[in-house]
Amino acid sequence: MPVKGIRTVTAARNGVGAFILQCKRLDFHYCNFGGSSRGMLAFLTQTLPRFAKENPQIEIRVSPRHQKHPMIKGQYINGNEKSICVRNLEPEDILKKAMILKDASGDKLKRTKKPITSLNESVRGIWSPYHGDLRGV
Amino acid sequence: MKRLQLQRWSSTVLSPRARTGNCLHQQLYTAKLRYQSTASSIQSESAPYDAIDVLEDPKLMSQVRRVHKHKSALAYPSPPVEAATRSAKLAALHARLYLPSRLPLQTLARTLVDASADENADFNNESLATLGHDLLTYYTTEHLLCNYPRLPLTVIFAAMYAYAGPKTLAAMAKEWGVEHAAMPGGEVDPGYLQFQRVEPGTDVEANSDLQSARPYAAQKNWRKTVTSKIFYDDEFGDQIKGVVSTGSGSGSGVTAELASATFVRAVMGAIYLHAGRPAAKRFFEQHFLSRHLNISELFNFSQPARDLARLCNRENFEPPVAKIISETGRKSRHPVFVVGIFSGQDKLGEGAGASLLEARERAALAALKGWYLYSPLNVRVPSSMEEEGAAPWKPVYVDLGEVIV
Repeated sequence: MPVKGIRTVTAARNGVGAFILQCKRLDFHYCNFGGSSRGMLAFLTQTLPRFAKENPQIEIRVSPRHQKHPMIKGQYINGNEKSICVRNLEPEDILKKAMILKDASGDKLKRTKKPITSLNESVRGIWSPYHGDLRGV
Repeated sequence: MKRLQLQRWSSTVLSPRARTGNCLHQQLYTAKLRYQSTASSIQSESAPYDAIDVLEDPKLMSQVRRVHKHKSALAYPSPPVEAATRSAKLAALHARLYLPSRLPLQTLARTLVDASADENADFNNESLATLGHDLLTYYTTEHLLCNYPRLPLTVIFAAMYAYAGPKTLAAMAKEWGVEHAAMPGGEVDPGYLQFQRVEPGTDVEANSDLQSARPYAAQKNWRKTVTSKIFYDDEFGDQIKGVVSTGSGSGSGVTAELASATFVRAVMGAIYLHAGRPAAKRFFEQHFLSRHLNISELFNFSQPARDLARLCNRENFEPPVAKIISETGRKSRHPVFVVGIFSGQDKLGEGAGASLLEARERAALAALKGWYLYSPLNVRVPSSMEEEGAAPWKPVYVDLGEVIV
C-alpha cells in the first residue's frame, strides 16, 4: 500500500463557525433570613427574570441556603465550577458578578504572553540557516 | 430546483397519528396510547404503570410513585413528551446550539434518547440519526472530493473519520455541554443524554458481528484492497457492523462515545426534517466544517521516492532526480543536507535532513504532498445546486487518482 491515512480528530474552534457559550448553568443561592441576602433577594425578584430571558443558553437554578451568605455558582462546559460570594451587594453589583460568571470560559485564569495563539502553522516558517541570502564566509 | 415541503414530512415525527403505526403495536398498547405530541390529546391520567414494575419491591415502588409528582413519567422507559417543555436543561441546549425555532423541544428531547434506552422506534433517536448520518457523510464527502480532488482514498477515509467519525461527534457532544444520565428512565430530566451503559468488562469489539457483503468476509487475515473498501465497507473504510444489538432488548448497552455520536447525528437529522435543507447545511458548515483539520498530516508514506517516480512516469514528467542544494558539516556530528527533487528544470520538492537519504525522503514527501494536496480555487459542491437560483453547474476537477505501485 503506497500511502496510508492517519486517523485523527478535528479540533474545535469555538467562534469560527458557531459560538457555544461556555457557561452552562448558574446557581443562585440566597438566605431568607440573613441580612447579607437582602440585595440578592431584590436581584432575584427584579433583575433575574430579564437576565434569564437575555441568556437562554444558561440553565438557571435558584435555591435557598439557610444561614449562609448569598452566592452565585457557574458550571462550565469543561467541567469546572466558579463561584462568587455576593454578600451585602446591591442588585446592580450582583448583576455585574453574574455577567462575570456568564462571560468566563471556565478555564483557570492565566496570563497570556503571546498576543496570538493559532492552530495553523506560521506562514513564514521557521528560520533556516540554509535558505535565503547565502553569504560567503 | 423547487424546494420540497419539508414541514409536511416533519409532521410524521411528531403527529400522534404516527404513533399507532403497526398492528402489533396497536395490540400491545391499545389500553395506553403513548403520544409523540401533546398537541392533540393529553395523555390520560389513568394510564397503567405496569411498564415500570420491574422493581419487585411494592413498598419501594409506592414510595417512588409518591415522590414523583408527574406520575406519567414512570410509565415508559424514556421521559414523557410533556416533560420536554418543562426541562430547563433542554431549553438551554436548544438556545446554546442556536437551533431553529421551528425545531420543537419535543424533537430535541427525542434526539437525546438512545435506542438502548427506549426500544420503541417512535420515541428513540435511531431514525433521526440514520437520516443525520447520511446527510453528514454526504456533505463531508462532497466537500473533501471537490476541494481535494487528488487525495488518495486511504487519506479520504481518514479525513472522513476526522470530520464525521464517532470520536469527533462524541467530542462535539461534549463541547455542546450535553451531560449523560446515569440510567435511562421516564423520570429523568429530558435534557440528559439517555442510554444504557455497557457492563464493565464487556469486550466492545468482540460482540459486534460483522455482516459484510464482501465475499470471504470470514477470512480475517486476508488482504482487503482499498478498492474493495469502497464497495463493501462504510465511509471510513471500516467493515460494516451488523445490526446493532441495542434495539433487540438483550440488555446490552452502548458506549458513551457511540451514544453521543448518535445524538449528534440525530440533531442533524432533526434540523433537516423540521427546518429544511438550508438550515441543515448551515448547521453542518458552522459546527462540522469550521473545525480545524490539517489534511497534510494525515499522510503516512512508506516509500515516497518510489511513489514519486511512478507518479512522474504516469504524468509523463521527466524522471525525478535528487540534487543537493546546500549542505553543512558533512564530516561533523550534526551534518545538515538540503536536497531538492527535480524533474527536468522544475523543482518538485525540497527537504532538509541529517543524512542524504533522510533529506531525499523528505524532499520526495514534500513533492508528493504538493501533488496530492492540490486544491482548485472557487470550488462549488454538488449540493449547492439545490439552492434556489443557483448558477449553472460547471463540472469540478476529477483526478486520475493516486499512483498504483
